[in-house]
Amino acid sequence: MKKLITVLMAVAFVCTILGSVAWADAFPRSWLWDTNALKMVDTSKYKKKPPYVIGFSNASVSNSWRVYFDLQVKAEADNQKDVIKKFYVTDANDKPDKQIADVEDLVAKGIDLLIISAATMAALDPIVTRVMKEGIPVVCVDRRVKSDNFVSFVTSSNYTQGRMQMLWLCEVLKGKGNIVMLGGFAGAGPAEERIDGAKEILAQFPGIKLLDLQYANWSPAEGKKIMAALIQSYGKKIDGVWGDGLQVSGAMEAMNEAGIKVPVTGDHLNAFIVRAQEMGFPAMSIDFPVSMGADSVLTALKILNGTPVPFIVDVPRTIITTVDTENVKSDMPWSDMAHKDWPDDSWNNTLPPKWLPK
Amino acid sequence: MQALAKGPAVRSPVSLSSAFEKYGIYIFLGLLFITASLISPQFLNPQNLKDILNQAAALGMVAIGQTVVILIGGGGLDLSVASVMATVAVIVAHNTRGQDALFFPVALICLVFGLLVGLANGILITKRKVQPFMATIGMMIIIQGLRFLYTGGAPKGGFPPILRFLGTGSIGPVPMSIFSLAILAVIAVIVLHKTTLGRQIYVIGGNIETAYLSGYRIDLVITVVYMISGFTAAIAGLYLAGYIGVSDNWVGKGYELDSIAAVVMGGTSFAGGRGGVMGTIVGVLIIIMLYNLVLLLHLPVQVQYVVKGAIIILATSFYAMFRKST
Repeated sequence: MKKLITVLMAVAFVCTILGSVAWADAFPRSWLWDTNALKMVDTSKYKKKPPYVIGFSNASVSNSWRVYFDLQVKAEADNQKDVIKKFYVTDANDKPDKQIADVEDLVAKGIDLLIISAATMAALDPIVTRVMKEGIPVVCVDRRVKSDNFVSFVTSSNYTQGRMQMLWLCEVLKGKGNIVMLGGFAGAGPAEERIDGAKEILAQFPGIKLLDLQYANWSPAEGKKIMAALIQSYGKKIDGVWGDGLQVSGAMEAMNEAGIKVPVTGDHLNAFIVRAQEMGFPAMSIDFPVSMGADSVLTALKILNGTPVPFIVDVPRTIITTVDTENVKSDMPWSDMAHKDWPDDSWNNTLPPKWLPK
Repeated sequence: MQALAKGPAVRSPVSLSSAFEKYGIYIFLGLLFITASLISPQFLNPQNLKDILNQAAALGMVAIGQTVVILIGGGGLDLSVASVMATVAVIVAHNTRGQDALFFPVALICLVFGLLVGLANGILITKRKVQPFMATIGMMIIIQGLRFLYTGGAPKGGFPPILRFLGTGSIGPVPMSIFSLAILAVIAVIVLHKTTLGRQIYVIGGNIETAYLSGYRIDLVITVVYMISGFTAAIAGLYLAGYIGVSDNWVGKGYELDSIAAVVMGGTSFAGGRGGVMGTIVGVLIIIMLYNLVLLLHLPVQVQYVVKGAIIILATSFYAMFRKST
């Protein structure tokens, strides 16, 4: 037995050495998973007999991602109506002060559990903390509050998203070339976290040069305007484009007009997936899944059932590519997710057909 | 003030400072153009100039309407334009489903929509005496809400090839969109300087008492002015949608403030009655060129906000300096 361990360690050591030599064009996907995700929370003290009254305080439905996310929450609550007696939904219009009042209203209505997607991390923290102190369990979804005063946070790691996108881009370029990055809103949590994650991976590929990083506000219009100028600036020197959202669909328009077809990354926005296929861009997409809305309801029910839940629920996400690389492979054919009959601004989802926006 | 209202009656001898006030913006544009071509080798690239013109078209169209609204004075401005643009884009995408056959009837509906929004703004301002700022901001929010109800948050459909051609195509070396902007600008100049309506706009903006004593139908003119703004915003929305090619709930976001900035840079006074469309077009070109230059120089795109803000302040203080002395 001892001998076996020694041999295994020796093999592992050799592999590491060999691995570090081959680093320039490959990177193990498994390193990217978050090992903290499995910290479980005991929820026995919240155990209650159904049927339940649950409140959902949403930050807003001001963009299409939030609309689909909101529908996923409602659809799952509807699906569970044999155990959920009453499901209240509030919309704070992106205003923290309105959301604080919303939460107070929900508590006054006698909810058994609060699901919240917080407008800002800091402003909602005191009220969420107070709700927890009153013995009402809180599930944060999509956006958390600053302190750890909640039972579970249902999300998907933005760092992972940025890393995966960059890993694919670097590998598809075989570790050599020039790229530009198009971020979301400067200073917005998800935008910065994805950029940070991407840069961590970029640092492992010395042959790839970052020409420019610009923020395109998750807007196709900005994406197109900025990309048009970058094309003038760098022209054929651009070998790939890293992006994390709506701006990439605009950037592809600019590149298409200039006759440039370089690899691009994005997320599961229908406009991006359909156009990448139509225009023939090598592409990779990973989502920040709207289905986390449904997962938040399922997590809530587990808590009220006294079942332990992870402190951070990292919801499953899919990766699709038009061309696979060594460590980033498509979970399904690209065309399966390109819905030509869906709106441009729709997101890949797990909604039952009757819940899809008409 | 009223002596400065455009009219053949009084013509003071052209002084150096008034010429400077009038043509300063053109000189600035020229200097900016020369500086840009010196510091960035890519600036004069034909494709880059074409990009600038293509991007200037939609902003120019909104700014024409905005100019007329600001000319009327009395705190006139139109904050609902960006909301009109986005709604028009959504209406086109929804109803044409990307087919040319339906484009013209749907485009007509869009223009009527723009006119109706302007009519509502005009009625609120003239009949209900709501401040233009409040009336148009209220309208902006109402249209936003209606748009979200209409689309359910996710706009459907796509843009027909004709619209894509209008937004991105060109006739010879001239982008189609800039060609359309030029036509619109010429019409606006003719309306403002050669018609009764235009004269009335300048007189009302210059001195509303005079206009009242002259027996002008002030309420009607003001309402028409807001309808012009709604109309040009609808056209701009169509062109911008054609340029971007992706239907989005926020097409034209930020154009309300950019158009006001262009108008003010172009020398149209917030007090009304003074300025015109050509200055505004120059203001638009300055805004777009600055944006382009910031990116060509590899500066973070946020720098453009600092530069834009500085230029707006610079321009207004420049005009204030000359106007106080006259």
